[in-house]
Amino acid sequence: MKWALVGFLTVATALLVAYAWLQSGGLKQHAMFSSATPEEAVHALMSEIQAHNYQQAYASLDRSSDTDLASFIRDVAGSDGSLRTYSSLQTAEVSPLHANGDQALVRVRMNWSSAVGSLDDVRDLRVLRDGPVWRVVWPKPAFSKVPLQVVSVNYLSWDVIGRNTSQKWGAQDVDTPKVRITSMNAISRPGRVVILGEVENEDTVPAYLNVTATLLKADGSAIDEEGSFDLISHVLLPKQVSPYRIDFPGVRMDAVKSVRMDARALLVPASADPVIAVMDQKVSKDGLNRNVLEGELVNQSGRPVNIAQVLAAYYDNSGKVIWVSDGYVDQALMPQVSVPFAVDIPDDIAERMKSYRVIVNHYSRSSS
Amino acid sequence: MQRTAHHDFARCKRLAAFVLLCVLPAWARAAEVHVPAVVEAGQAFSIPVQGSGQATFYLVGPDHVVKRTVSLGSDLQIQSSDVRTAGRYQVILCDASSSCTSATFEVKAAQPAHLSFFLHPSRVPVSTRDSIDAAAFVFDQYFNLILTPAAVDFRITPASGAGFSREVSTRRGVAWMRMDSTPHEGRVQVTAALDNVEEARVIQQVAAEACGLRMKAVASGSMVTLETDPVRDCSGNALPDGTVVSFTKVDKAGKSTVDTPIKKGIARVQFGVDGRAQISVACGVVLGNEVVVNGKL
Amino acid sequence: MKSMADNTLAFKKVSLGLVRTRLVTTRLVKAASFAVVACVLALAQSSPQIHLPQANLPEVHLDADGLTPRPIEELTGTTIARHYALAWRDLAMALESGQAGGLGEEFVGFAKDHLMKRITEQNQTGMHVRIVDHGHHLKAVFYSTDGSAMQLLDQAQLEVQTFDGNKLLDTQNVPHEYMVLMTPGADRWYVRDLEEVSAKPF
Repeated sequence: MKWALVGFLTVATALLVAYAWLQSGGLKQHAMFSSATPEEAVHALMSEIQAHNYQQAYASLDRSSDTDLASFIRDVAGSDGSLRTYSSLQTAEVSPLHANGDQALVRVRMNWSSAVGSLDDVRDLRVLRDGPVWRVVWPKPAFSKVPLQVVSVNYLSWDVIGRNTSQKWGAQDVDTPKVRITSMNAISRPGRVVILGEVENEDTVPAYLNVTATLLKADGSAIDEEGSFDLISHVLLPKQVSPYRIDFPGVRMDAVKSVRMDARALLVPASADPVIAVMDQKVSKDGLNRNVLEGELVNQSGRPVNIAQVLAAYYDNSGKVIWVSDGYVDQALMPQVSVPFAVDIPDDIAERMKSYRVIVNHYSRSSS
Repeated sequence: MQRTAHHDFARCKRLAAFVLLCVLPAWARAAEVHVPAVVEAGQAFSIPVQGSGQATFYLVGPDHVVKRTVSLGSDLQIQSSDVRTAGRYQVILCDASSSCTSATFEVKAAQPAHLSFFLHPSRVPVSTRDSIDAAAFVFDQYFNLILTPAAVDFRITPASGAGFSREVSTRRGVAWMRMDSTPHEGRVQVTAALDNVEEARVIQQVAAEACGLRMKAVASGSMVTLETDPVRDCSGNALPDGTVVSFTKVDKAGKSTVDTPIKKGIARVQFGVDGRAQISVACGVVLGNEVVVNGKL
Repeated sequence: MKSMADNTLAFKKVSLGLVRTRLVTTRLVKAASFAVVACVLALAQSSPQIHLPQANLPEVHLDADGLTPRPIEELTGTTIARHYALAWRDLAMALESGQAGGLGEEFVGFAKDHLMKRITEQNQTGMHVRIVDHGHHLKAVFYSTDGSAMQLLDQAQLEVQTFDGNKLLDTQNVPHEYMVLMTPGADRWYVRDLEEVSAKPF
């Protein structure tokens, strides 16, 4: 009787442990880290990357991968304070493209989450069979080498001095920068109303500005008020023009009678450095057959730009802004090194647009 | 008969005492207050008060309250510090029997001693009509707004050229005027003056929009350097350094743009060229010329 | 007879049951009502006090016809009238209560300095002033071109009672005229200067 009880307790404990293992996703985890198929191999690699186990991820690569550990980590996790270094891998969608015998081609769409939103990185990876398992061949990262050189930094910079909030009424003061909204276009998109346009800093000093829009009903009461958030270049140098886009989710165009625009500018210290050239811009299709505006960014200054954001404005035949899109580059822009970028264009906009203009926002860890 | 006379006398005594009690307080109150109608701010004065006995004196002004015990029959001294702020003042005098009399007087601003001067904007494009506004508020030494008309002289001293002035009379303590900006860039000082009081402000006249924007191309191997002429407005004033100039190149590789700031009056950029390329330049919303580069220079 | 008695007994039992039920029901209803009232009171206590500022604001009418050198925008006019009314409400409350804490919401500069000093000295002397505000008629007379200052004339009908402690010293019920200077802040217009003037035309 006593032994029956002991036996029963032992079996029950084992069953409960097994149940707990199943509940905690043990089976799924096993599938994730096994590499019995090309897709599983890529999944396993992505899991290691997601867990920041870069050494184990690197160890799981095929021997023919022409990259060292440091380059692999730099390629995957980012470097130089780039946006990738502040991101984490959220999901990885794996889809087989081609397989035969001992090798396969697998497409992985990595979705990285960052403070500025999600970033996609699509790669086609070659996977080779190594005995009973499959291993990913990681492509050699193409890091540009910049030769050692001295670059003079002699761009203009502005400082605001003598700012005193307690100064008496009527004391000498400096006006806020004069900015002007040069165009405004209200369009209807699925599930929202969008206000687009451009704003110019007409002044001779830099401006930090924000553009807000208030949608009004026929009786003059407000429906909603929104700002441009990061769909604008907030710091504008003298005579610089930035596109802006303000989204009103859940609002229908037929409810809107008029729009009240407001551009608020502040006097801020700024630098005319860095100058970022936007080269070889063209509209094409990406690997997922989406319309994109792509090109290359070249940092023409002597200091790295940690995070770059591309803002693109699209114009129709009459020069009216019909869309504004943006995208963050997850690589740092090193001096004189070109870095590719691509921003999405909605299909209907791609059909109607006649021209486009790109500007670059930049954020650097250490400012001058 | 004797009893009736005694009774009458007692009644009379009681009546007299009663009357005396009623009248005495009135005799003691008798506090009349005569104040001047208008007093200049900061000017001490006295208030003659008639009557006898002690009383409580109150002075209630816009920013000042006084309460003290005074002796009636002598003048009440009002210090200059009691009447610094312009406005309506109330004097209340309450005697021992708590009956009060009151009077009001007005304190008006003293002589001009301060100007709050507003010059707008702090930066203005040259040769722009009605672009500069000046407003001066006239206050006395206690910062009371002087409401009587006064003549404020606005003296304008441009960086180059002759200065001039304009006299404007205040209305309810404010003088304002509007003027055009002068044709030359630089610092302009505007001084508002009234009697011995002066207040100066500086505005910066800056170049207007770029005018006649032109660039030239200088080839060097597979690169071409684009350089603008000195960027000026239509009056010949140079646009300040830091103003952004946009260069755009269109060739078979696509479109390339560089936004570069003006340095020492000109903007310069380098492009690589491969085949025919069309290059344009712009500053703000002003377009410049275009050059065509065929790659074989 | 027996059935009659049984019926009666049964009826009595039923009646008794009904009575008991009614008693219980009544008690339940009472308890429920008490609970509902208690909940409502607790909610009222915990929720923020519902101010009805509109009910406490003096009436202010703004006339901005012919304003120079800058015409007034409709929204600005509404804002100015509202904040001027709020300023007078706060001023009256401060002069009566001796609490100057709320003055910074609507007053700035000279006007605030003067009022703070006045209230401090009122408190020192034990005096206070009650203002019964019968409304203001504001005439805008100057609006600077950059929108940084507006000058107004206020014709106000005020009843002013001056107290020393609980003793009423004086009551004045006369029209008052003020020269007002208002300047814009981040989200409102402030009263920068408030000078009482004689009602002579300028």
